[in-house]
Amino acid sequence: MTNETGRGAMAETLIKVEDVSHVFPAPDGGGEVIALEGIDIEIGRGEMVSLIGPSGCGKSTLLNVIGGMIAPSQGAALIGGARVRGPRPKEVAYIFQESALLPWATILDNIKVSLEFQKAPRATRDQVAREALKAVGLDAFATSYPHQLSGGMKQRAALARALSLRTDVLLMDEPFAALDEQTRMIFSEDLSRLLANERKTILLVTHSLAEAVFLSDRIFVFTSRPGRIKAVLEVDEPHPRSPAFMTSPKFNDLRNRLYELLRDEVLAAIGKDRQGLA
Amino acid sequence: MTPLSFRSPPPWVSRALVILLLLVLWEILGRMGSQLFFSPLSMVATSGVTIFADREVLEALRTTAWILAIGFGLSVCIGLVLGLAVAMSRFTYQTFLPVLLLLYAIPQITVLPIFVLYFGSGPASKIAFGVSHGLFPIAVSVVAGVQGIKPLLVTSAISMGATRWQIFRRITLPYLAPSLFTGMRLASTATLLGVLLAELYVSSGGVGHFTRRFGESFQPDKLYALIAALSLMAILINETMRMLERRFSRWT
Ligand SMILES: Nc1ncnc2c1ncn2[C@@H]1O[C@H](COP(=O)(O)OP(=O)(O)O)[C@@H](O)[C@H]1O
Ligand SMILES: [Mg+2]
Repeated sequence: MTNETGRGAMAETLIKVEDVSHVFPAPDGGGEVIALEGIDIEIGRGEMVSLIGPSGCGKSTLLNVIGGMIAPSQGAALIGGARVRGPRPKEVAYIFQESALLPWATILDNIKVSLEFQKAPRATRDQVAREALKAVGLDAFATSYPHQLSGGMKQRAALARALSLRTDVLLMDEPFAALDEQTRMIFSEDLSRLLANERKTILLVTHSLAEAVFLSDRIFVFTSRPGRIKAVLEVDEPHPRSPAFMTSPKFNDLRNRLYELLRDEVLAAIGKDRQGLA
Repeated sequence: MTPLSFRSPPPWVSRALVILLLLVLWEILGRMGSQLFFSPLSMVATSGVTIFADREVLEALRTTAWILAIGFGLSVCIGLVLGLAVAMSRFTYQTFLPVLLLLYAIPQITVLPIFVLYFGSGPASKIAFGVSHGLFPIAVSVVAGVQGIKPLLVTSAISMGATRWQIFRRITLPYLAPSLFTGMRLASTATLLGVLLAELYVSSGGVGHFTRRFGESFQPDKLYALIAALSLMAILINETMRMLERRFSRWT
């Protein structure tokens, strides 16, 4: 391992997506929606990857194929060389746009129930849950209920839950989308620090160009539906990344390139929706 | 700088006053009209003492109470299972919910004779008729409760490896609890109604039998004493359910 951060091209491949296409039946019953077409990607262990593209281009679908929640119409996803055929609770944890916490249980109990779902040994659940809360700075809120927390804290709790599952892979589907700008920035910095400490492999779906550049080792840019990979951008900057990185010329340059790549696709997606309306 | 300072009394004071006023009205009206159909409060109170010393009446109260208990228990079990079955999938929901609502809407008193023909004139027909009243509020609330579960919670649980039983135990049931208790509150009064109607119709025993007897033999004082006892029973059950409902819906 020569790479200082343990990332980048040197790392072994952990996730492989082989020629995945997926077709949904159209909501009105007739016809079908091609969500993904011919996706081929490899992601290294410990790598942080962002998926970015217009709404409806199939980013969530790809995440769900990797997470074993959707069986693709064609192709396959592999984790650690084994084909994904269903949920992999020991290897993959999710963070959704909403925290998905049980409203009637405390934050601590929420994590313990998740560990029960995962079939983690009963004796260690309490300790594991408390450690995870500590890692995200929520240990003082262990006995709070979700509705007592702010949106940012709820997502932190969801992050704690995902960490407590001790999986290699973290799938994050627009986890910051419902948060305000400031909260997102702090959250991003925390995440970058976490990346430096733990060797998690993370796939992040985001709509924010700045977030993608700030957090990712690589950024996959999707075309409008049917989703294909249009370009891959590398961000060669070690974690943890400081706020200063966000104002550097390198950051701006990458973000501008990302914007150029996305603009056409977003326009195309809007055009398609308009035709659909007509 | 004080605003208009009319301070309304605390709510329990005004409530107590209204009730007191009604009781006084009761006494006055009772003394004015025919005592064949209506009795003043004072007479009802004294008859209350005498009829509840009557072994037959006590026996009737006990009979009605256990029939009600069994009927209510069965309503909860059957209603819960039925509701869960209907809410199980989109298909069962779309197919069976309209049927459930249709049955709920039928004025059941019209089929009471059939219940008696089928279950006989013993306790069975009264239990069955009570259940036929209590079942639907529970089933319908259970369906509504399950429909309210956020799909993301289930998706998230599945991604973490939850089994079907774990999803039921950790998500469906706790989510259901508040609406289940709302249903149980409605069902408790509905079951009581069903049981009393059957007792009135068959008139072989129980409280319903005595309300009929006291009514037909022009003993309104005893009739109203019995009604008061019944009301007390209904209020007690209702309040217990409300407490449970609140206890299990603190998170909402
Ligand atoms: N369960 C589903 N049934 C039918 N169509 C779906 C389903 N899920 C997603 N789609 C469609 O597939 C396309 C891609 O969806 P998705 O992966 O959620 O996009 P993204 O996450 O990039 O916004 C969209 O057009 C969406 O309408
Ligand atoms: Mg999505």
